[in-house]
Amino acid sequence: MAKILAVDDSASMRGMVAFTLRGAGHEVTEAENGQLALDAAGASAFDLVLADVNMPVMDGISMVRELRARPAYQGVPILMLTTESHTDKKMEGKAAGATGWLVKPFDPEQLLATVKRVLG
Amino acid sequence: MGRKQNAADKGGQAIQVALPADCRLAAQGALRAELLGALDAPATVLDGREVARVDTAALQLLTLFRREALARGGAVSWLGASGTLCEAAGVLGLAHALDLPASVPA
Amino acid sequence: MSKVALAQFQQVFVEESLEGLDTMESSLLALDDGGDAELVHTIFRAAHSIKGGAATFGFPEISSFTHEAESLLDEVRGGKRAIDGGIVGLLLRTVDCLRGMFARAQAGELLDDATAAVLRGELAAAMGRGAEAGAAPASARVDRAEAWTIRFRPHPGMLAGGNDPLRLIRELAGLGTLEVTAELDRLPALDRLDPSECHLGWTIALRGPASRADIAAVFDWVEGECDLAIEPVQAAAPAPAPAPPAPAPVADMAAARTQREAGGESTVRVAIGKIDGLINLVGELVITQSMLDTFRDGVDASRLALLEQGLAQLARHTRELQESVMGIRMLPIASVFNRFPRMVRDLSQKLGKQVRLELVGEHTELDKTVLEKIGDPLVHLVRNAIDHGLEPPAQRRAAGKGDTGTLRLEASHRGGSIVVEVSDDGAGLDRAAIVAKAVQRGLIAGGDGLDDEAVAELIFQPGFSTAAVTTDLSGRGVGMDVVRRNVADLGGTVTIRSTRGKGSVFTITLPLTLAIIDGLTAAVGEEHYIVPLVSIVESVQLGAEAIRTVAGGGELFRFRDEYLPLVRLHRAFGCPGAAQRIEDGLVIVVEGDGSRVGLFVDGLLGQQQAVVKSLEANYRRVQGISGATILADGSVALIVDIAGLVRLQGGRKAA
Repeated sequence: MAKILAVDDSASMRGMVAFTLRGAGHEVTEAENGQLALDAAGASAFDLVLADVNMPVMDGISMVRELRARPAYQGVPILMLTTESHTDKKMEGKAAGATGWLVKPFDPEQLLATVKRVLG
Repeated sequence: MGRKQNAADKGGQAIQVALPADCRLAAQGALRAELLGALDAPATVLDGREVARVDTAALQLLTLFRREALARGGAVSWLGASGTLCEAAGVLGLAHALDLPASVPA
Repeated sequence: MSKVALAQFQQVFVEESLEGLDTMESSLLALDDGGDAELVHTIFRAAHSIKGGAATFGFPEISSFTHEAESLLDEVRGGKRAIDGGIVGLLLRTVDCLRGMFARAQAGELLDDATAAVLRGELAAAMGRGAEAGAAPASARVDRAEAWTIRFRPHPGMLAGGNDPLRLIRELAGLGTLEVTAELDRLPALDRLDPSECHLGWTIALRGPASRADIAAVFDWVEGECDLAIEPVQAAAPAPAPAPPAPAPVADMAAARTQREAGGESTVRVAIGKIDGLINLVGELVITQSMLDTFRDGVDASRLALLEQGLAQLARHTRELQESVMGIRMLPIASVFNRFPRMVRDLSQKLGKQVRLELVGEHTELDKTVLEKIGDPLVHLVRNAIDHGLEPPAQRRAAGKGDTGTLRLEASHRGGSIVVEVSDDGAGLDRAAIVAKAVQRGLIAGGDGLDDEAVAELIFQPGFSTAAVTTDLSGRGVGMDVVRRNVADLGGTVTIRSTRGKGSVFTITLPLTLAIIDGLTAAVGEEHYIVPLVSIVESVQLGAEAIRTVAGGGELFRFRDEYLPLVRLHRAFGCPGAAQRIEDGLVIVVEGDGSRVGLFVDGLLGQQQAVVKSLEANYRRVQGISGATILADGSVALIVDIAGLVRLQGGRKAA
């Protein structure tokens, strides 16, 4: 099972993601903004990062850009948790180096399917 | 990962390259350097038995290495390859180019 | 997903998409007026959602078609292409075409048509690739096939972004059996290789009944990060064998489409706020009910005040609930107004006029039924204003006005009515021309003695037209008389005020609520009558002794402190087989026009909402009947016009 970093400033959202992934046997680390996520990513190696776009302190886009610049995170899947109304954010996220996205709202099944998809 | 050179290798020119268990993008700077060093050896033995995680970047690197080594008249063989490695080569249509069995561990 | 669930989501998706198309259209028009780049994003988002949803909900034709438009928009958005009138026009026609496709989707018809095929070609051509070389022509694009060839070449930077071809090809393997050929021709020398870059390419033969959308979905995250071509492998046989058993998902979709057809229920999208309001009211009702429930074991005098209070609350909440439920049918007129920017643009271009459209009061709410029927009259008034009212620029200049005319649509509440005004600052009505035409048509002998108002009224006469030149806009067989009739069907009126040289104002006045009444269904012999709930005071059972016959044959009965006229509905309307003896039926005490009467019926069948149909339009005016409705069993029930009956019977003023 994989080590996953879940980044979202919404505790409920982060909680749902972490609960679902742990239930599927993954090891989940939670971070509530981009800066804390970068700290966590430096302390430990993750197989997958799930990040919200709009967050205080450091948003998801900036976080992806910084994470991608680190050699250890070249090629590591990073998924943006985005809303359909923010299609441009998806593209911005892609430009910053995100692998793909998961559109909110999603249910646990969709989350697991996407995680399975990206982890192979 | 490591590059094992026994006494026979040093004198007899066969180089063995062991692929790391996590043979993905982040590991490839080092692997590339090692393979570059093996390019002019008359024989290279790749050890893929430990490979548990692999990606396209790794298979691309190995494919390129094998192609160039053969072009220079060297020999490239496998000491063994994990099922993961063989399966990935098969998926990417590179089993032939890498001289790996399409699937099934060695 | 079950078929029923799928059909539901499809319906919601279609509604969402139609809204998205409206957004696309209005944004395209704003863009044409020099709007900003954000509009392009808005248009793109709408197209993108439709494309994605269409693939999800089983409309691959719509998905692939929208994809073409989306690709073009993507280039515009990325600054690779400047937007011009040509592209706006093309995209507007794409919007129209998609509306057609959705309409056919709802009717369960084949989605693609000739227009779609032509537009696909034009969209492709606009992107400068024309029909793909060597591929089948665009019109024959196949979206579902038994075998596909996929050419996939990642751009070098794709790997670093975490999208590994290994994963993508594995995913493809889920759609069928693969034969993967790697292309090594672009590999650089080992010493020049950046291991994080991908220089491989693949040709993948996929065998399995997959749709283009299924395959494209695998690559959704890498759009723009790779070159991708997805081509169906055409069967070698000249004539395809009879279709193989359809794969499960297709059957599912077909079934879902049929399901929806059969259902054919129209739906209303309701603002969350309204639903929250209903939930609150129901909550209040529950509280009141539990309070009243405490009286189950009896009422003593000490708690009488509490009981009265509870009943008053119940009455208030019930009335509020009724109003709120009716409010669900109320929708903003914006959905009708929104069609006009496009229409005004097209019409004014065609006629060489410059028109600025002002929309006011778009949030004014109308009953859904009214909303559906007010569109045509409004279209006619708008068309009329541009065609006949507003002048060409030269003529406007000559009249000392600006080149651009103003056309204004305004909706508002006024008292118990909805008022929709269509006004223009054009030439106004030409009194002389109207009188001449009316004389020619034999409508009047001459204009003398007619005031301006009477002259204006003439244009509502059947067959009247003042157009000096018959354009293709008029001559549609629809005159102002039809507008007036359509509005009258809704219980409304149309009037005109016009000032020569200054312009005209058409005013449509509609009753706030008209299409639906709440009523009690009463049986009279073999007939059913609907008595509007608002007019009902009480229903009582009387004995023969309660009836007094007065001079002239009229009957009165005692109700509380007064004597009220009794109307035996079976006599008033001539229904055979009805109860004759007063003790065999019921008397419904009703109030109308400030007077009360009692209606004698056989019995009450229950309360229901009735959609009012005009009796005049379908039959003729009948005194004492305000309309008709169709009951659940398909039979017709007449709606009692209480005020009319009261007048008929000379009811007593209510105390």
